[in-house]
Amino acid sequence: MTALRRIFGLWRGRWLALGFGLLVSLAALLVATAMMTLSGAMVVSTGAMVAAPPLMRLLGPARVVLRYFERLATHDAMFRALADVRVWFFRGLARGAAGGIGYRRSADLLARLVNDVDALDGVYLRILIPLAHAAILLPVLLWQIGRGNILLALVAAALFAVAAFYLPYRAALVARSAGMRLGITISALRVAVFDTLHGLREVRAFAAEGRMLALIQSREAALFAAQHEVSGRAAVAQAGALLCGQAMMLAVIVTVSFDPAIAVAAFLAVAAFEPIAGLARAGVLAGHAAASAERVIAAAETPGAGPDPATPVTLPRGSALRFEGVQFRWQADRPDVFDGMTLDVPSGSRVALLGPSGSGKSTLAALALRLAAPQSGRILLGGTDIATLAAGDLRQRITYLSQATHLFDDTIRANLLLARPEAAEEDLWAALEAARIADTVHSLPDGLETWVGEAGARFSGGQGRRLALARTLLSAAPILILDEPCAGLDADTERAFLQTLNETAVGRTVILIAHRLTGVERFDRIWRLSEGRAAAAAG
Amino acid sequence: MQRRRCRRVLGAALAGRGLPYAALGGFLAAALVQAGCAILVERFAFDAGAAARRRLRGDAMARLLAAGPAMLRGAHSGALAAVVIDRIEAVDGLFARWLPAAVVAFVVPVAVAAVALALDPIAGLILIGAGLLVPAAMALSGLGAAAAARGQFAAMARLQTRFLDRVSGIATIVLAGRAEAEAQALARAADELRRRTMRVLRVAFLSSAGLDCAAAIALIAIAVRYGGQYAAGTLASLPVALFMVLATPQFFAPLRAFAAAYQERMHAIAAAEALVDLPALPPETPPLEVRTVSAHGITIDFRDVSLSWDATRGKALDGVTFRIPAGQVVILAGPSGSGKTSIIEILLGFVRPDAGRVTFNGADIATLVPQALARLTAWVGQRPVLFAASIAENIRFAKPEASDDEVETAAEAARVVDFAILLPQGLDTVIGEGGYGLSGGQAQRIAIARAFLKDAPILLLDEPTAHLDPVTEADVLDSLKRLCLGRTTLLASHATAAHAFSARRVDLRGGRVVGTRGTA
Repeated sequence: MTALRRIFGLWRGRWLALGFGLLVSLAALLVATAMMTLSGAMVVSTGAMVAAPPLMRLLGPARVVLRYFERLATHDAMFRALADVRVWFFRGLARGAAGGIGYRRSADLLARLVNDVDALDGVYLRILIPLAHAAILLPVLLWQIGRGNILLALVAAALFAVAAFYLPYRAALVARSAGMRLGITISALRVAVFDTLHGLREVRAFAAEGRMLALIQSREAALFAAQHEVSGRAAVAQAGALLCGQAMMLAVIVTVSFDPAIAVAAFLAVAAFEPIAGLARAGVLAGHAAASAERVIAAAETPGAGPDPATPVTLPRGSALRFEGVQFRWQADRPDVFDGMTLDVPSGSRVALLGPSGSGKSTLAALALRLAAPQSGRILLGGTDIATLAAGDLRQRITYLSQATHLFDDTIRANLLLARPEAAEEDLWAALEAARIADTVHSLPDGLETWVGEAGARFSGGQGRRLALARTLLSAAPILILDEPCAGLDADTERAFLQTLNETAVGRTVILIAHRLTGVERFDRIWRLSEGRAAAAAG
Repeated sequence: MQRRRCRRVLGAALAGRGLPYAALGGFLAAALVQAGCAILVERFAFDAGAAARRRLRGDAMARLLAAGPAMLRGAHSGALAAVVIDRIEAVDGLFARWLPAAVVAFVVPVAVAAVALALDPIAGLILIGAGLLVPAAMALSGLGAAAAARGQFAAMARLQTRFLDRVSGIATIVLAGRAEAEAQALARAADELRRRTMRVLRVAFLSSAGLDCAAAIALIAIAVRYGGQYAAGTLASLPVALFMVLATPQFFAPLRAFAAAYQERMHAIAAAEALVDLPALPPETPPLEVRTVSAHGITIDFRDVSLSWDATRGKALDGVTFRIPAGQVVILAGPSGSGKTSIIEILLGFVRPDAGRVTFNGADIATLVPQALARLTAWVGQRPVLFAASIAENIRFAKPEASDDEVETAAEAARVVDFAILLPQGLDTVIGEGGYGLSGGQAQRIAIARAFLKDAPILLLDEPTAHLDPVTEADVLDSLKRLCLGRTTLLASHATAAHAFSARRVDLRGGRVVGTRGTA
């Protein structure tokens, strides 16, 4: 429930559209009720006869038009509100995911963005609006019928309240666990399908087709079981509402047989039950919506490492990096990566960091980018502790080519522009040239507009790596951290790239993380990481 | 049926004949039957829809699995997953609601109209006349519905694929300071989805409005008719008049359900179109004896093999000819993009050459079923896909029936144990999607462990040590050299790995063999 309240909070910006939808729907409701009442009155009472036909001619078209606009207005408002939730979700996700999505699964996050957000649309369209209608119709029903027969009015109001309020409430309680399972099972199915398709190479190479199909089928069966239970509960709730309507009709008939004058009640009763007919069914979905709201909020609010300080300090002018007595471990139960490490990287210097895998080379980059915070010690940028800076500001100064740098399913141009959206055409080519991939791109019929495919699938591993490298070089940040930039490159290309690096990044700080050196690099300093400390190496 | 009975009860009651208990009992019974029927209909509809979805999803997955990894060059796996999940869920309406609604929409209005005709022919004709407007309105609006629904599905697939792709690389986006720009782009995509959905709904609601219109016309016509009679004092029967007014919504209710189901049907048909676009299942390969290629000592032969992934980008392989004698190692050397991976993907059966022949012991691999081919080959790719699971489970993916000991042996040989031992749960440590929590070199060692566990006669190594530091690389190469013994091995590499093997070497440039060195 609190999760749903949070979602309503997000919709505050849309109250005008949502409120307008509600108003139009209420107008449509009033016209429909008036029309049904008048039709009855025309048949059974002489009083309305004179006024009624012209009024009916007005109400009829009004009802059709209002119903049409009610549907348009409520749906449009809802979709706008859902789009807001989606964008909020992505922003929240991005806030906590500078280091990647971690142990979460992208297909599950997608399920939350798509299915769980979709489940929220019922809250407004199928629950809130009909509830508002019911709240208005109940006193109308009491008053209109009560004028003729107070006993019938009480019975009708009771039956109406059961159908509009009690049954949906019960249905929501009973179907709560199944509703929760709906969200979880569709996400599990999505994960299985995505793993199979994303890992299609592995699946084929290891003949895992049968296994993966069996997994998908079992998850599909779990989804169907949850859907089956929800659908069954909805049918029962719906049948209950239907019986309430018929019981009301029976009560009306019995009363009318004694007192024909209140036959108009029959019409009102019919008209009143129509707008709330779906509420009992919607009650079943309320549990689903509440669970979905929780899943959406939980994913969007997972905190990342190193939240921004309350009042971030402005960026210092200098770009010298200094690690001062840094002690760090990723998790409490893992060994120290750094233990009192001190390292100076003056502005504009070229530094190589060497060491075997596991010696903390990539961790050092993560600390500099504040993807993680040291347990003790400080990291200074231009003399300012980076813990006091806004992470976004800090990352403007540092560009990082990691081993997991992602190529997006987009054009080469769009992938490059990610690093510097305002870059000119010649900047793009210069970066491609420096990364030794310009000739390849030139030879492509679509040039910069060539689609790179999922994670660069349309290029070879080495070509994809060089495109990522070009993107990093394009960035205007004064500090470049290159983590194994040449992994997967052939020896000639590697040599050529390192030579270019000597010439291109003049004036910028370059931190090259590598297993070994080829001999062509020119460095001011070479550090070797071992046993949690940095030691100057000859070079 | 029961509706007719309740009208009769109403008629009898209104005629003022006192309380007809039998009729009231009939009314109650009819109401209960109606409620029970509604529950049953829902149940059957669900079962029908679920059965159809199960069948369609199984079929779609079978087709995608048969088409294999070559498809991933042209389509994002997220877009394909959207077809398998969302489009097939959307087809449900066709089976679960359209068919029952179509039947009910015919039977119930006809029954109501028949009773109405019997009681008051003119009012009956009014109902029938208004009822005939409904299909006309639906046909008009239905024309646009399918086209609009198609656009909506395309927008939804784009939104999903974009999101999935951006989430996979979210760290890259955040570190580049582009998170807000991406959020804006997502907002635009979501807005496009809204506009497309509204386009579908505007048409769908138009058909509902047409129905509302027909219902209002009928109600007004009937009310005016009886109102006039009442005023003129010629109203023959008040109960009949009441019945007509009350029966009008009942006449239209099933038509309303029908119209909604009709929209769902158009939606489902648009959804199903993507299923038709999935690759067709290949014809069953006739069982040839070549499928039983001897599992020991396989000679691989490439003869004039050409391949192009994309016609506009020229040939990836152009007349490649070479041979790997049984149990020997051949090194495939060349700069990136020269076609090394394409050769390995042919051997894995991911793609078929456009021209030329690839044979195992003289048998064309085109005649091997994918499962048979997979049994013969073990593979270490450049970008191994690791699943969100424990390290041991990821290794076991290569051979699900492997014992814990076998997994551990493979992990040791691939130097996985070296880093796993430092992790809190060792080999049972859970890693994230795409190997989160591991370095590139560690992920690669898991892929190598898979190859060790698989224990197949052909070994295909695609840059197996690209991300390893020199010490680890030397260790892994030692293990690989042992693994190669007695197996036909193709090692694609441009790095030092190649020098570790004293083997024959095939040099590739731009998809052509430019030289061979060493002895075979």
